[in-house]
This record gives sequence, structure tokens and C-alpha cells, in this order.
Amino acid sequence: MADLNVITHDILIVGAGLAGTWAAMSAGENGVKDIGVLSKVHPLRSHSSAAQGGIAAALNNVRPVEGTGPRGPLEQIPPGDDPIDSPDLHMFDTIKGSDWLGDQGAIEIMVNEAPEIVYQYERMGCVFSRTPDGRIAQRRFGGHSVPRANYAADYTGHVLLHTIHEQAVRNGVKFYAEWYCLDLLVEDNVCRGVVALDITTGELYLIRAKAVFFGTGGYGRAWKITSNATANTGDGVAIAYNAGVPLMDMEFVQFHPTGVYGKGILMSEACRGEGGYLRNVNGDRFMENYAPDKMELAPRDLVSRSEQTEIEQGRGVGADGEGIYLDMTHLGAEKIMERLPQVRELALNFAGVDIIDAPAPIQPTAHYSMGGIPVNANGQVISDAEGTPVVGFYAAGECACISVHGANRLGTNSLLGASVFGRRSGKAMAAFVLSGAALQPVDEGAVKKNRQCISTLMDDSSINGKKESPAAIAEELKTAMTRYAGVFRDEERLTLACEKVQELTDRFKNARIMDKSRRFNTDLLGAIETEHLLTFSKVIVNSGLARTESRGAHYRTDYPKRDDEDWLKHTMAHKDSNGEPELSYKDVDIDWDRYPPQERKY
Amino acid sequence: MTAQEQTIQARVHIQRYNPDVDRKPYLQTFDVPVPQGMTILDALAYIKAEIDGSVTFRRSCRHAICGSCAVNVNGKNMLACNTPLRTVLTKKNEVTIRPLSFQPIIKDLVVDRSAFWEQYLKVKPWLIPPENSGPKEYRVTPEEVKALNRAETCIMCGACYASCQVVAMNRQYIGPHALLKAFLRVLDPRDSAPAERLELVSGTDGVFRCHTIFNCIDACPKNLNPTEAIETLRKLTQRRLAFEKEREERQKTL
Repeated sequence: MADLNVITHDILIVGAGLAGTWAAMSAGENGVKDIGVLSKVHPLRSHSSAAQGGIAAALNNVRPVEGTGPRGPLEQIPPGDDPIDSPDLHMFDTIKGSDWLGDQGAIEIMVNEAPEIVYQYERMGCVFSRTPDGRIAQRRFGGHSVPRANYAADYTGHVLLHTIHEQAVRNGVKFYAEWYCLDLLVEDNVCRGVVALDITTGELYLIRAKAVFFGTGGYGRAWKITSNATANTGDGVAIAYNAGVPLMDMEFVQFHPTGVYGKGILMSEACRGEGGYLRNVNGDRFMENYAPDKMELAPRDLVSRSEQTEIEQGRGVGADGEGIYLDMTHLGAEKIMERLPQVRELALNFAGVDIIDAPAPIQPTAHYSMGGIPVNANGQVISDAEGTPVVGFYAAGECACISVHGANRLGTNSLLGASVFGRRSGKAMAAFVLSGAALQPVDEGAVKKNRQCISTLMDDSSINGKKESPAAIAEELKTAMTRYAGVFRDEERLTLACEKVQELTDRFKNARIMDKSRRFNTDLLGAIETEHLLTFSKVIVNSGLARTESRGAHYRTDYPKRDDEDWLKHTMAHKDSNGEPELSYKDVDIDWDRYPPQERKY
Repeated sequence: MTAQEQTIQARVHIQRYNPDVDRKPYLQTFDVPVPQGMTILDALAYIKAEIDGSVTFRRSCRHAICGSCAVNVNGKNMLACNTPLRTVLTKKNEVTIRPLSFQPIIKDLVVDRSAFWEQYLKVKPWLIPPENSGPKEYRVTPEEVKALNRAETCIMCGACYASCQVVAMNRQYIGPHALLKAFLRVLDPRDSAPAERLELVSGTDGVFRCHTIFNCIDACPKNLNPTEAIETLRKLTQRRLAFEKEREERQKTL
């Protein structure tokens, strides 16, 4: 085809956050030279940079001062003293946090590789906060039984992302900044490449590769109140699903307890890790009624539910009573300026509150996608419950479901998971490529098909009925997902959500964009992203409706108990021939001798 | 409802330009209702969704960490996402939004940042660690971290670069963003190449080009201080070999 632009790489990586950049670095270190990294935003704009509080690893640099209780001061562990932490303890905390839905073999790999990868970040130049004797500083975090959040003030994700990007540039990794992946080409369970759009010029490209990696991030933009960047529209998840790859555990979406009231912008869990309180309208620290032991440092799912309960029982704050107070006034200006400078700025700018002097109004905000593209611990995408590989297709980070986070992720395990499994994927892809993998034949019609979809979105004459605005459809979807598939769910609400998603999907057929130009068309991207939101939201609400139990972040008021007999299993959703999700289930990897399911209490 | 809480109407003038069809940039005006708490980015998003989908700008995180959305507002560079619209309205409730200066326009508020990133690469932004590293972290004191003056929190938004009068005159100038990165690496006790870096920034397009006009400080949305960083580098270039010797000594106990 004369008008076909073709690019080839040994490895093509989509997404340049921590997972994608580690995959590129590691594939390069393991002997593959020809690697391309494609990102819809400039790599340094990736959402990994928004992570604030820390990256988990059992480094044993600090411990609580003896006799000061669970919220007391921390001190560095003197050389020679006994360690308080271990990968085993990190593993147990993660399993318990996951409400036993996490795959324990993968979790074990993650916690074992954690100390080494954090040290590697440090040796590559990451500017961490420090203990008095110069080690990496650590703080407490929810659901972790000891302080093991290694941090750089409240900019941890930012410094990690800049550090790894700098090293990737140093190693000569080729980046395609502001390129958008439109389609994944999988046939006969073999991945062959992608169709991509150069956003600046509007040109379409067929990119062929021996291995394709997705590190495309989460899907939290399907909710109205969200901490997620506008880029986090679950593109990779939707594209993979459309290509026949299943999605796993999509119903599990974490609501972070402290988003800025009315905006959802993240106020780090480090606020509570450093000693902040949650208060209701009466000034009560209500967590004592829900998690008397861990209080504000219970895991996120539990804290968000507690807040939502207070709100629904009329003890919320703010104009509509949908808020809660995050009170850090007792921490003092010095500690706040040193450890939480970004959070203070955020509260000033977005809540109009100086947290040194006054509590900040917050509310639960859609934050982290536990579900995603099913992969094994080497990032290899699998296509069924038996683990059959999709040859040449890999994924890690928030778009993937390994599953190390199960039904609820612990804070600081996301930066860790993205890094560890991004790196492992790079190594596995290098082995795959060096073992003699070849470029596979592709259907060149794929480019034509995508070009046609774009033309349709621009062609007002092809409308059958009333013209729809993609932005308006996205807004309606977000409102419905917040109302019907939020912190609390039940059959009635999830059924309404299913109906709404279907209605919007039908209406999207008449969605047309206003910008008809080729050059840097963000109106077009917005429409495609909206279609992705609809695609995976259908899977979320159907998976959630089917799961008649409460586990981790998926809470059904009509089934308030965890049900291990029927539901200790992963949801797998394939797109059937009618475009509907077909659900099947996959066993959870559990070490029954060491970590059998227990009641989850904090 | 108090006057403060009332929605007001703003006239938002946006510089439009699509080089494929427009002969030159022009201003287009949009009427925007401004509820309490609306940011400049919210206003742009409102215009794009409700009035004209072809209005083009970059954005992602919405909270001043990704660095995408720096624009020129009434002549001053800032992030669209963390600036309340009401704080930039004139007495007549007007505001003018243009792309960052000194860079080719791709479309509307989106500029081609190639030169900006080239300068960033020129200073070798990555750490060059000592050759023999142990299995654990290097030991760096809290005081040494403090001396970096938060340079590691730079988000590379380009607000400083596009307000720098030296960049305006000379595109070869390394620029405040990249010099701040050079400062971060030179001051980091883990970096093994401070003398090489100091030599690089002491060239004709480096730290001695800075006219200390302080525009970069005014523009920085993260309250960083590139001018002071440049000043520090200038002083160190005078004694770069001695500084490297001190670094070698320091690294013996890293």
C-alpha cells in the first residue's frame, strides 16, 4: 500500500511511566538494541509522577521509638540492632491488604525484589529524604505494620520518574513523544504490532514489533471525582480487550480516602502516615469506630468506606455534606514544610486552606485500578484461566493485573509493582526476542480500519438521529459510575449502571467531534478516549454485578460479607461476538500452608 | 449566596493558530461562566467541551506535577491547572491566554518544545555515579539534600524558559531549566563528574550569559530559584578542579 507508513522495532513499548521505562531499560540491558517507546504525552508527563507518599521496601532504616505507641516518633535503627521488617512481613501485609485476592507467588517476587530496586533508584540519582545518618528515610503507611514507605518528601513518584527517564535517555532509548496507540494487532493469540497516531502531524503508522509491551496506566477517569490525570482513560485496557485479550478483576477500583473535596485531587496518604487525623463535622476522630487499632492508618478501602458512612449518616462537612476533614494542624509548620510541602501547596490552591492552620476538606476519590490485563510474574499476558500466553504481548503497571494488589492495593506498593514488574517484563521480552522471535505477518487492513473510524468521528453527514457530544457522554458516564459503581454498590445500583453504560454506548454511535483538522487534534483523542471509557466501564459494572460478595474495594451493601467459598477467585472477562463481556473465573494463587485466608481486621 | 460565591461571566481571549490554515495567529473571544474555584484549565476545558472543540492545549495531571499546561496569561507564564481564573481577570473580567514564547507554535496553545528538551539533554541530566557502588544506598546527609534547594522538584514545565530574556535573544543559551538541572547534579555528592559539568556550563552559552533579570523566579510555579542556582554554578566554575577534589574526598565515605 502506497500510503502505508510502517515502522519496525524488536520491542515496542506503549506508555513511558515507571513500568514502560523500566521495561525499556531492562530489555536494553539484557541485549536488545532496537526498542521504541511510544507515549501519548511527553514521557515526563506520565502519571507515575503524581504518586506522592513513597515506595515500599523492607529496608530496616527506621523503627518506632520504643514505648511511644503506634503513632509515636520514628528513629533510625542503630547499626547492629535487630531489624523490625522483612520481605515476609511485607508479603503478609500485602496479602491481607488484598483481602486474599492477591496472587501470593507474584507478591513474594515483588517484596523480595523491593529492597534492591529501591537501592537501584537511589544509586541512579533519585533524591530521597534521609535519616540523620544518611540512609533513605521511611514513614508509616496504611495497612503496613511497620514504617516501610521510602520517600522523597511528598514527591516520590516525581523523582522516581525523572530519575528513570534520565537513565533511559542516557542509555539511548528511542522515545516517540505524543504518539497515540490506536489499536493492538493480535491474531491466533500472537501479537504482531500496533496502529499508532503521530498526534502532531495526524499521520497513522503501522508499527510492527516482535514483542509489544503495555504500560498504559489505570482507568480511574471513568469517575467524576478522581485523582487520576486526564490521560488515565484506560486506553491500553480497552484496546487489549477489543483485540480479544481478557480483562481481570475489573470490578476492583480503589477509592483513596483523601481527595480534595469536590475536585478529587490527591492529598497523599503520607498526611496520615505523618500523623494526620480524620474528623467528621462534630470534630470526632470517627475511625475509632471502624478500625480502633490502626485508626487513620487502616487500608484505603476501609477508610474510604468509613468516611462514606459518616457522610451518608449526615456527619459530613462542606456545602453538600459530602466531605470529611483531614486535620494536620497538630503536626506543626516545620514538619509540614519539610515532609508535606506539595500537599500544603495543593490544599492552598485547590481547597483554599493552609493545612498548617486549618483542616482541609477531603472526600473519597477514584484512585487506583486493581484490575486490568492479566499477566504472569514475567509480564507475559495470558488469555485464559490456564495461563495460555498471548505470544509477544506483555504488560505491567496499573494497566496490568498480575495480581499483586488483589482486591485492594496498599499505598506505596504501586510504584514498587510498576518498577519490579516493568523490569521483569523487559528481561522476559529480551529473552523472547533473543531466542529467535520474528516479526509476524500483519493485516495491513488494520490501518485502513482505524482511518475509517477517525473519518466517521469527523463526518457529520453519517449521523443517524441526533448528534452527540463525546465530552457530554463522558460526563454522563462519570456521574453514573460515581453514583452507581462507587464506594458502596448493590444490585440495584449496578443494574442502573449497566443500563446507563449501554445507553451511552448506543448514543456514542452518533458522537461527532468539532475539530476536523489533522494536526494535533485533541478533540479526536478525547472522543477515542471516551469510547475506551465506555468499553471498560461495561466490564467493570458487569463484573461487579456478578460478584455477589464484598471483598477489598468491591463492597456490596446487599452482600456485605466476604464469601471465600464462592468468590475466592479472579474474574476474567472476554469480549464475546456480540460485544458483551463473557465472564469466567481463575483460581487465586494461595500458599495454603503459610498464608491461608483469615478474617481481615485492623 | 454571597457575592463571592456567585458565578460571574468572564471574557476569555485565546490565541488561535493552526499553521495549516491560518496565515498568522489571532485572538478569539469566548464567554465563560466562572463558578467559584474554576481554574484556568477548567475554563479551557469548558470552552473545548461546550463551545469549540478545536481549541487546543496540553494538560494532564490537573495538580501542578506533570508540567504539561504552562501558558502565558496576560503576559505572565504560569500553569493553567493551579491558577484560579478569578485571580487573573482584569477589572472588566477579561483574560488573554497565549502559548509560551520563543518556540514554534504547533497549534493554538501547544508549542514545539524541541529546543527546550535539547538544552535539557545538553547538560546530561542524569546522575553519573561513582564507578564502584555498594549493594545498598549511598549515604547522603539531610543537610546535603537540603543544599539541593528542591531543584529535584522541577517539573520541566518551561514557564521559566519562556520568560527568560536571554533565551529571547539567543536560542543557544542553555536556559534556566537545564541550568537548574545542572546545579542539581553538580551539588549532588553522588555525582562523579562535577568538573566536566562545570566546564560545560561555563561555556559561551552557559551560566555567564544569565543577566540576573529574575524572570525565571517570578515564573516558576514550584517556587524554585534558577537564578540562585546559576549564581552558585558561576562561583563553582571559578574553582572547579578544587571542587572535584573535594567531591572525590566526599565520595570515599559515600
